Amino acid sequence: MSIELDQVTKRYQAVPVVNDVSIEVAEGEFLVLLGPSGSGKSTLLRAIAGLTEIDRGRVSLHGRDVTHVSAREREVGFVFQHYALFRHMTIGENIEFALRVRHAKAAERRARRQELLRLVALEGMDHRLPAQLSGGQQQRIAVARALAHRPKVLLMDEPFGALDAKIREELRRTIRQIQRELGISTILVTHDQEEAFALADRIGVMHQGRLLECGKPDDLYTRPATRFVSTFLGAANLLLGYRSKDGIRFAPPGNPAPAAASPVHEIVTVLRPEEVELASERKGLKSTFVGHARVEEVLFGGAVERLRVRMQDRGTVASAVKGAAASADGTLLEVTRTLPEKRQLPVTPGQRVALGARRIHVLPTPVSSFSAVATTEDDCARIAGSPLLQALSTRMLTRINHRIEPAIVQPPNGKPARALAPLGVAAVESGPGGAARVEWLLRHGATQVLCLDPERPVPARVVIHAVSDAALRPTMAVASSLLRNLPAEAAFLDIQPQELPEDERATQLRHLLDARSEAAAVHGLDVRTELRFGDSATELSKELAAEDTALLIVGLPLAPAADAWQRLRPIAKLLDARGGGPVLIVRAAT
Amino acid sequence: MSRFRQPSILPGFGLTLGFTTFFLSAIVLIPLAALIIKGSSPSLAALKDILLDPRAIASYRLSFGAALLAAVVNAIFGFIVAWTLVRYEFPGRRLVDALIDLPFALPTAVSGIALTAVFAPNGWLGEKLASVGVQVAYTWVGVVVALILIGLPFVVRSVQPALIEVQRDLEDAAETLGASPWQIFRRIIMPAVLPALLTGFTLAFARGIGEYGSVVFISGNLPMKTEITPLLIVIKLEQFDYQAAAALGLAMLVMSFVMLFAINLVQAWGRRRHVAAGR
Repeated sequence: MSIELDQVTKRYQAVPVVNDVSIEVAEGEFLVLLGPSGSGKSTLLRAIAGLTEIDRGRVSLHGRDVTHVSAREREVGFVFQHYALFRHMTIGENIEFALRVRHAKAAERRARRQELLRLVALEGMDHRLPAQLSGGQQQRIAVARALAHRPKVLLMDEPFGALDAKIREELRRTIRQIQRELGISTILVTHDQEEAFALADRIGVMHQGRLLECGKPDDLYTRPATRFVSTFLGAANLLLGYRSKDGIRFAPPGNPAPAAASPVHEIVTVLRPEEVELASERKGLKSTFVGHARVEEVLFGGAVERLRVRMQDRGTVASAVKGAAASADGTLLEVTRTLPEKRQLPVTPGQRVALGARRIHVLPTPVSSFSAVATTEDDCARIAGSPLLQALSTRMLTRINHRIEPAIVQPPNGKPARALAPLGVAAVESGPGGAARVEWLLRHGATQVLCLDPERPVPARVVIHAVSDAALRPTMAVASSLLRNLPAEAAFLDIQPQELPEDERATQLRHLLDARSEAAAVHGLDVRTELRFGDSATELSKELAAEDTALLIVGLPLAPAADAWQRLRPIAKLLDARGGGPVLIVRAAT
Repeated sequence: MSRFRQPSILPGFGLTLGFTTFFLSAIVLIPLAALIIKGSSPSLAALKDILLDPRAIASYRLSFGAALLAAVVNAIFGFIVAWTLVRYEFPGRRLVDALIDLPFALPTAVSGIALTAVFAPNGWLGEKLASVGVQVAYTWVGVVVALILIGLPFVVRSVQPALIEVQRDLEDAAETLGASPWQIFRRIIMPAVLPALLTGFTLAFARGIGEYGSVVFISGNLPMKTEITPLLIVIKLEQFDYQAAAALGLAMLVMSFVMLFAINLVQAWGRRRHVAAGR
């Protein structure tokens, strides 16, 4: 491996700006780190170059651990957004700088300078000063200068950011060509997805300090794993769907469910604008029917036509998940059509059309939607307005449903009613009666219950714990999904009985590490792991007692509801406590 | 005149040039001319006696030597102070920043008296220095100390903006290219800051040559030893020897002008290179 990062974390004033990032870049590979501004991508690049020290983790270049090696001994080439040419030196002196500080002979310097100027197609510019060159030329010189000492790794921080579109494209081609020619492992940071697609062998998408996904451009586009990547790389409509053994439907299941119905899971689907089919009525569709909609806006965009349509009959169509686009009068969807499609069915604003989905992609995320559950509408609104739920729903582009459930306060001895707990994450208030509310939800089939105090701030830390080995994987999946959207650091806590024999301790530790590497491989998430011995309630309270708010994620096995509740008993007092941190209970349903 | 006219945001080339000429004449040229006329009125032989008097020569040496030494010290330490203020964030930074200007505002006599009190053999620091055999007050060292105090703000205030302008990117770039901290300092930071440093040095030096108030208290004013030229001029004036005073003043003027002009030439040469580099 040419570049290897292992669990790199960098904090500024206790806030992680790069959070547990691990990447490997192969010899000669071109990796593009893509992310919005503030996602930590530039900080990560500087950490690789040694310009920024990291707080945790390891950086290796060509098998050599350089975590504590200074930038000047790392032998990397770095290209800055604003060129950073030495203005008091000529172009020639700039390019020769790396050789001059290494006391190379004049003849050797001159030869290398000529070679590099030829490479960037700027021969004969040796005696100019940087200010006499255009922006594009200056950046070429910056690239040549960065290559002078024959680094094995080239790092570029938004190198086209300060250039206009045409020069940008030209320089992009030059850089790709040089990179191929030299076979140098390269990481380029950008916020421009077009640039990423044009240059990358592999794209890594960063968001809030985390590397969410890393893969080939077309894989990331067609099979994203996260909401963020699906909406950041190209446009996407996110729709809630309902999967049963009959297939995927967009209409929500009835409540209470018909007795014979098979269990339904709520899923999040990605519908790309170009995969939406329009027809004047349902019969005319060649693909799966999604719903009826009214055309709101038609924009001609050259090769394609862009439409915004609103699905209005909410009873029969998909629930919206895409944040702002969801409102009381329906869901806005984006549609793009090619010109032949447009000619077949010209549409005008106000027209009613039927929507079909040619291809949908189901996100592997285990967290679909949130429902605030309480006895009154006011309480629902209070729970929905809690900082944690607001943060999660905004970042996960999902909506918080309100569910008024008078029965939730009743003692749990009665026979469970036919009413089903909401799909997705059911949120209830902690404090007195909190445990009873959680119990009600679990007994009525809830698989994910969040018990929180609406007044508490967004947690800065996440503690993950599974009460049994079987619960480990689904718990990790849910935790990964949440952690991609929370700028919090996570720790996985495994608690074993004090009297566990020595050899079983080792087995347990191996289990734990396996689970961690699986979480990293499957969900792209690295968490810190810790193995403790003692009583789980005591150890968890100890871990949560710190002054900051921590979110506790508890995994339960997929057992009959009553049994699940028994496993939760020891920590019930955490749910009844007023003002404690939030607790998310996950039942292992996959 | 119209061929010199260039577009500018200040209106009226004629008006502004006229004002500049008038201002320079009234404030600088006419008094200096008077000095030259008065100073060169005695016969050449008398002039030679006044200017080459051993006491006068000793005073030139002290005035120019101490001013030069103080300016060199200030250039080094002022640079460090400016560096600290620009590059580091520490509690009380703004306070230190404000303190730098204090020597500008303080009447020079006040700083002189304060320095004397501290460095006198029975003063705070003077006592401790005396115990290791160093005497500051009433020696040439005291003169240098006073001039350092007076000149420091000139260097700091000149260098500060130039240091702020050095982009961190440039240092990072040099570091990734393999430059050592010393190489970064010498090849990247110094070339960018040197013109400003030279300006600060010149200002501190010029100020040191002419300084009077703060020096007379700490120097002890021993003829041939710790007597500066401005003081000698005042002594001549007190003896109503106006011609000698004017002659000495003229000598100072000529020497200062030659030195400042030389520094300016060096600076102009440096600036040309810098401007050509696109600043």
